[in-house]
Amino acid sequence: MTIFWFSLKRSFSNTTNLIFLTLFPVGAIFLPMGEVWPFLPYGYQFFGIIVLFVGIRLATIILEDRAKGVVKRLAVAPVTHFQYLTQNLLAFSIILILQSIIVIYGGVLYGHELYHPEWLLVLFISFSFTSLAVALAWISLYRSKETSFLVYMSVIFLIVFLGGLLMPIEAFPDILQRIAVIFPTYWLSEGIVWIVFGNDISEFLLINGVLWLYTIIFLVIGSVRRIN
Amino acid sequence: MMIASMQGVVKRYGSNIVLDYVDLAIDEGEIIGLLGPNGAGKTTLIQTLTGMIPFEKGQVTLFGDVKAPFSNKNKEKIGLVTQEITIFEELTAKENLQFFAGVYGLKGEEKKNSVQEALEFVGLSDRANKMPKKFSGGMKRRLNIACALTHRPRFIIMDEPTVGIDPQSRNYILEAVKKLREEGTTILYTTHYMEEVQAIASRVVIMDQGQIIKEGTVDELIKTIQHEEKVKIDVTDAGQIPLNKLESVTGVKQVNVDGNQIMIISEANSGNLDRILSLIKAHAGVLGIQADKPNLEDVFLTLTGKQLRDKVGEE
Repeated sequence: MTIFWFSLKRSFSNTTNLIFLTLFPVGAIFLPMGEVWPFLPYGYQFFGIIVLFVGIRLATIILEDRAKGVVKRLAVAPVTHFQYLTQNLLAFSIILILQSIIVIYGGVLYGHELYHPEWLLVLFISFSFTSLAVALAWISLYRSKETSFLVYMSVIFLIVFLGGLLMPIEAFPDILQRIAVIFPTYWLSEGIVWIVFGNDISEFLLINGVLWLYTIIFLVIGSVRRIN
Repeated sequence: MMIASMQGVVKRYGSNIVLDYVDLAIDEGEIIGLLGPNGAGKTTLIQTLTGMIPFEKGQVTLFGDVKAPFSNKNKEKIGLVTQEITIFEELTAKENLQFFAGVYGLKGEEKKNSVQEALEFVGLSDRANKMPKKFSGGMKRRLNIACALTHRPRFIIMDEPTVGIDPQSRNYILEAVKKLREEGTTILYTTHYMEEVQAIASRVVIMDQGQIIKEGTVDELIKTIQHEEKVKIDVTDAGQIPLNKLESVTGVKQVNVDGNQIMIISEANSGNLDRILSLIKAHAGVLGIQADKPNLEDVFLTLTGKQLRDKVGEE
């Protein structure tokens, strides 16, 4: 499990990551409730955005390994690419799960009305995995972490906006409302709405199912071994 | 004992043949200097030999394993020093080594000792807890080498380990390679620097256009292109020396005089230097002798027609 432990260590080894992994999520807990929208405190909408950033920050570690040739070096070591990938993803997943637990139960302790914190946790964990998988697929297209991160920032803004995390989806023209379903952020927004108003568990399962489908598809795309 | 071999290996990238029926055998304890211009196929050869990439034809053997992926047991016997500096800048030098030692399955006391030994070997013990981002290029290169040594491999592949570093660090690395040789480690060493190969290699393999075009010891390779010998002799008074007598010495092809320097060109291995000197000494004093012998660079140029050093960079 050497790769796993070092992946955890490396995830916290620079200031930007530390801010994304600790300061921003904790800060999200203290954001207030909106008057009409969103239905949960602002922090939980913004936490969705933070999770997208955290996903790319963590996945960038793999991109760095590939760009620097560490993956090449590991290719001749007694460790398979699958082991390398799973140990890294396991470390990232643990960070994302802990983050979700802190933000949600931190909110409960702070006194936010989160309706069903346990379902909210499930939703954010599903979304975190989707975010990680999308980031993994994204970095597989790049060799430079700076370019990858900068372009992804624009993509994040787009999917956050069109997915309904920054403003209610109902405010969009009909065509954009139809397009929105292709973004994972739409399903997070829908999930949050279900947490507040939903009572049919199958709807919640569908929302999580779609997020997991995205996760699997992007994991497969992002897992292809690239040495050169 | 042979530890690795390639037999008739063919590797293509699309329609481009990168390895063209390559045959290579590496015996235990050898230091093989692999030379070739950019695009010759050196890095592909290394990647194929270590099982990193598949190939179309032929056979690769590594410690008895015939086909990649090689067994973990055999992978533990290899160390790869990559051309890129593949270290983690966000971890200390010691943590870098701990990572690679851990990947190779070292644990506890064994891991601790091997990390310490590797740091000492590359002269970075005093920097063990420092971040490599503050290291000089040479120190990073040394750490890069140490990362491949923590598990004490029997076969080390070094892909241009001295690119872009200062002469002091280069010397340090070359001395380290010699030390490894003394310990019986087998090394495959690629470089653009001829003098490095001349200093450390027990055998030189020259590649061009995906083929091994020549191999042998440095002396053997030089002999293949050496058809004549050139000797320059500085004398007290060249005018006193009978040039026709010099020209009649067995093997001498040409005699030229430039001031008080006489240049004599003879057939290769003619063994006539004693006779020439006796003749000169009978008429004038000898101030100095300079034998102009071809070196590895001449061999390389003759065989490939390409200058190696001005093409430093990625293959």
